[in-house]
Amino acid sequence: MLRSKKIKEILGLNRRNQEYIRPLNSPSSKKIADNKILTKKVLSKEGINTPEVYKLIRTKKQLQFLDFESLPNSFVIKPNQGTGGNGIVVLYGKKKGQTAWIRPSGEIMSTKDITMHIENILEGRYSMGSRKDIAIIEERVKTDPFLKQYSYKGVPDIRIIGYNQVPIMAMMRLPTKKSNGTANLHSGAICTGIDISSGITTYSMHMQDKSLISDSYEMIDSTLDLKENKKLAGIQIPYWEQILEIAVKCQKASKLGYIGVDIALDAEKGPIVFELNARPGLGIQVANQAGLRWRLEKVKDIEIKSMKHGIRVAKNLFGGEVEESIEAISGRKVVNINEKIFLYYKTPVSKKKNDPQNREAIRVFVDTGLITSRINKTLASRIGFFEAIKYFYSLPIPDKFESFKDAQEYIDSNQTTIIGHPDILRVAKIVEEGTIKIRPVICVHTKIASEEKEIEMVVTEDTTYNVVIGRNELKGYLIDTSKTFT
Amino acid sequence: MDYTPFTKWVLDNGLSERTLELLVGIAIVATIVSLARYLFGSKSFGIYAPVILAVAFTYTGLRYGLVITAVVITSSLLSYLILSKIRMHYISRMAINYCLIIMSLIIFFIIVHKYNLGLPNMSLIQPLAIISIIGLSDFFAKQQIKKGFKTSILVLGSTLVIASIGWFIITREAISTFMINNLWLIPALIVINILIGQFSGLRFKDIVRFRTIIQDEENVKK
Repeated sequence: MLRSKKIKEILGLNRRNQEYIRPLNSPSSKKIADNKILTKKVLSKEGINTPEVYKLIRTKKQLQFLDFESLPNSFVIKPNQGTGGNGIVVLYGKKKGQTAWIRPSGEIMSTKDITMHIENILEGRYSMGSRKDIAIIEERVKTDPFLKQYSYKGVPDIRIIGYNQVPIMAMMRLPTKKSNGTANLHSGAICTGIDISSGITTYSMHMQDKSLISDSYEMIDSTLDLKENKKLAGIQIPYWEQILEIAVKCQKASKLGYIGVDIALDAEKGPIVFELNARPGLGIQVANQAGLRWRLEKVKDIEIKSMKHGIRVAKNLFGGEVEESIEAISGRKVVNINEKIFLYYKTPVSKKKNDPQNREAIRVFVDTGLITSRINKTLASRIGFFEAIKYFYSLPIPDKFESFKDAQEYIDSNQTTIIGHPDILRVAKIVEEGTIKIRPVICVHTKIASEEKEIEMVVTEDTTYNVVIGRNELKGYLIDTSKTFT
Repeated sequence: MDYTPFTKWVLDNGLSERTLELLVGIAIVATIVSLARYLFGSKSFGIYAPVILAVAFTYTGLRYGLVITAVVITSSLLSYLILSKIRMHYISRMAINYCLIIMSLIIFFIIVHKYNLGLPNMSLIQPLAIISIIGLSDFFAKQQIKKGFKTSILVLGSTLVIASIGWFIITREAISTFMINNLWLIPALIVINILIGQFSGLRFKDIVRFRTIIQDEENVKK
């Protein structure tokens, strides 16, 4: 049963073509995606960055008069209507004293080689249907230093699938030695799933060579061929919010109903759109270990009112999906800002250890601004600390102190009486409603994100939140900020 | 041979038995290509290549056909390897490719004639059949430039499998006679193709490709 349910969540090529690409991507919108010059034009109107064009070569005549001396030290040559990254040549340095450039592989390209390559482009060797094409000479993206450490030479890129103005799924592609510095999965690049709501990487997959019938991937934990291999899960992609916005904007601008947006992160300019894809591949499902179909169907009938709305929908619908996987891989658990936890009664009601009667479920607020967690008086009394609280409040402790120093002096001189009750571990000096106060600290048995632990909590006056979890208890957790109060 | 009145009428009105057999065979091979693509997920070099190969194989016989294909593809690969060292225009490259294929075929025929190699009477093969097979190199080279070696070999493999199935069907006397006697099957093939054309489920290859996602959930259940 489960297997068939899971199969239904996956988007196959047949359905992608029939239900998404054909009806949603009109010929005119496909034209924009298939033509890089047009893509740049359309996107620049929306204020979206694309690699800067140095030169366009449309004819052999123009090629003949190409002034090689005017070209910068590093640039990229691309066919305007190329497919699958074919015909793209990256030149990343000029050879000293010569008019020749070096490719990432170390190969040197002379002006003659470059001319030949551009001629091939013009003749349509790399374009769809071998039509005559235009060669683009453009800026080489200088990878963001943070992501650079995960990739072998080339530029890692981030692919986002967009539908109905909602970013549906995302992955990062990391060039490897085998992929020769390209971010092409079929050449051996690594694909890493990204949690839509947080921009944190999850699973990483790498295509195996052996497979004959079909693409076959293996799951990997860390990069493959770098000097110092790095763990791939739990990476926070920089500019995540901006990246999601760009993806939605690209969909709006190109009018592609089902789109793949490829974004690279430039060291200086931030997110740059490489390419729009009118027929994005399905490998992204493998990277995320999740099906596209149910996600698409979930957002199908939602009326998206604005860009922010689209992003919010994506985060709410698809965010939590990968929480468990982040936990599994990174060993870190995810807690929400508004998280449900359990508090155990000090004296168990039932003898059975796991009896639900022994605990109380409450919604807590996670606040990294606090150090020690807090619990309000009423709740603390209810779960078994009534005596301790009664004792503490019966003491003649001043209502407020002028400074922390005064409070500390008071504590020092009244140490024994203040912590006279066995349930009071110590006292804390806190700021409550703008005044400095002394409050007792108790130890509460809890269960947070399916993990049981003892938490020290400061007992406070009754406030909006029954419990606020502070920094002390949040070590080792990732906090998901997308799920706020609803 | 006993034919239905309608088939008899068709055969009396300008179509030879052989032509009719081949024409029906083409319709079947075309349907197999569509089945293979959308239910199984295996790509071939379009419909034309497997159809023309299947027909060529009926003239050469499967064994000879596959051997000639092997020679054509091998020399095509070799010429690609040699020519990739030299930068040149695409069509010139293809023309050289053809010249090299022709040369290797001539040499191959001579060797077979000299040493037999278990392939007697090779010289009796219809030239047009050989030429059709040579045309395969065009599809192959294009695919190799665009998608690389591995993909093109895979696509070539499935093209050959489909062509061989096509050859098998066309050369079975019983199947051919049955098809000729039931020409209504051609519109039936259209119906089948309409159904395949609307099929939006997962292809067999999709299931294999995404099996980790499917299995993953099962592990969770355990």
